[in-house]
Amino acid sequence: MSSLSASEPRPLSEQLGRAWNAFWFVPTNARGLAVIRIATAALGLLLWASYANDLQQWFGPEGVVSPSVIDSWRSSYGISLFDSATTAASLWALYAVGFVAFAALLVGIGTPFAAIAAAVLWVSLLHRGPMLVQPADDLLVILLWCLVIGRSGDAISLDARLRAIRKLPEAGPSVRNRLALSLLGVHASGIAVAAVLSQLKGDVWWDGTAAWWLVSGRDQAAGTLMAALAESDYLTNFVTHAITLFEIVFAAGVWVAGLRGFVVTMGLFGWPLIGLLSGDLLWGCGMATLGLAWAPPAWFAGRPALFAGR
Amino acid sequence: MSVEQPGKTDSGVPSASLPSEGFRGFVSIALTLYLLGFTLTVACNSSSGSSTLLRTVKSKLFSPWMVPLWLDIGFDERLTYGQIDDADYLIMVEPWESSGEDMSIRLPAKGASGVAAARWRQLASWLEPGMVPEDVAGLLPSAMAENLFDDVGAEDVRVRTMRVVLTDREEFSAEDAAEPQYAPVAVARVRRVAGSVQLLPVEQERDVAPVVTPSAEQGATP
Repeated sequence: MSSLSASEPRPLSEQLGRAWNAFWFVPTNARGLAVIRIATAALGLLLWASYANDLQQWFGPEGVVSPSVIDSWRSSYGISLFDSATTAASLWALYAVGFVAFAALLVGIGTPFAAIAAAVLWVSLLHRGPMLVQPADDLLVILLWCLVIGRSGDAISLDARLRAIRKLPEAGPSVRNRLALSLLGVHASGIAVAAVLSQLKGDVWWDGTAAWWLVSGRDQAAGTLMAALAESDYLTNFVTHAITLFEIVFAAGVWVAGLRGFVVTMGLFGWPLIGLLSGDLLWGCGMATLGLAWAPPAWFAGRPALFAGR
Repeated sequence: MSVEQPGKTDSGVPSASLPSEGFRGFVSIALTLYLLGFTLTVACNSSSGSSTLLRTVKSKLFSPWMVPLWLDIGFDERLTYGQIDDADYLIMVEPWESSGEDMSIRLPAKGASGVAAARWRQLASWLEPGMVPEDVAGLLPSAMAENLFDDVGAEDVRVRTMRVVLTDREEFSAEDAAEPQYAPVAVARVRRVAGSVQLLPVEQERDVAPVVTPSAEQGATP
């Protein structure tokens, strides 16, 4: 076997292998993922609560989405724990368990189990009524499954606090955290790419009027914004092109180490603004949360006093 | 053969901190499979359609495990379009014999905002013909009506699906924003007869050209 000198370039396959290992397998501490956990749980509680008022009207024994409707509607691979909740009481009980799971995830108590419970119950709820699903719901699924993979309870959590009280050693960096963050990051970039691809198919994104159509089709239209867009061609064009440009810069920029901090910061404001414009603020918040996976580790170096592990 | 500093990879990562090669190999295969599935969901859930090849590969190899986990998503969402179909929908249910809006139930309620209202709008959008296969198209209107018979106070009702009318920028007025206009996109008649719920097709009114009777001077023949 021939050996390479230190000055010789490495074969491409070796370079790729090293980059792959560095991206997916370098152990990482849990702080960044813990921040994402808190944001995800808060988003999850909001989305879960949105079912409360109409839960029985949708899924109850006499509900609109009756078992016969869902049997015909849903893919044969779709399964839901809520299928077994055939009485009003059992439906409420299962729904309450979901609230507990998201609340536990928020404060980080029994985090590994809370993450699994929240993910399974959330997916079950979506499968129980696929015709009610919003874009933000899809993002929450991705966030939750990645929290199942990572060890987000190792930091900024009651679990970490309890560890410290019991004088157990602080949880160190973990490959699971890296896998979860990398998966979240890939999704953040991939979803931005999917959005750009969709937009580039539509004429309105080329002629610069998409921002108008996004705003004007809403039941609860923002009158002031509509008036401003109606007033100026240039403003409408600018907002439309800015959305597409932002998504392109985000999708590509997160892969460039030098741009990452700027792009993530931009995403924290840009995604919610796009969500607000299109009438789905929580989708924007979900995208901003996904984008946090690319945040430089230095962002999370400080320790909040309340839940500090040690 | 790799050239590494003792205990470190050339990217500065302590090689001892990486998991075993077996673990990395197994996880890498799983990641590759998942990322391939993720790419296929984006490629196959596009409103532009998808190729038979990709659709078949996805449905045979990936859907069986991605669908139960709600990962067969595609992220091809309405807010990335700005097209007419993206406008908000609502459902009106009213007694068949009544034409007044005072007897009707509107979902979401007028002025309702938030995620719950958005879910009703989403549900309403599925009532538009063409959104779902024909064999399931009648299920939701029937279920909606059946659920609301008591609230409406009738067992013969009209279920209307309405969509916000998009206004051209040039025609915008402040009133449009305050009181959006809706146009019906689907109407169904649902009634319960002897305990059985029936969905009856309703012919929608259409715009037609005026009837012109050519006069005899223009060469018309009786």
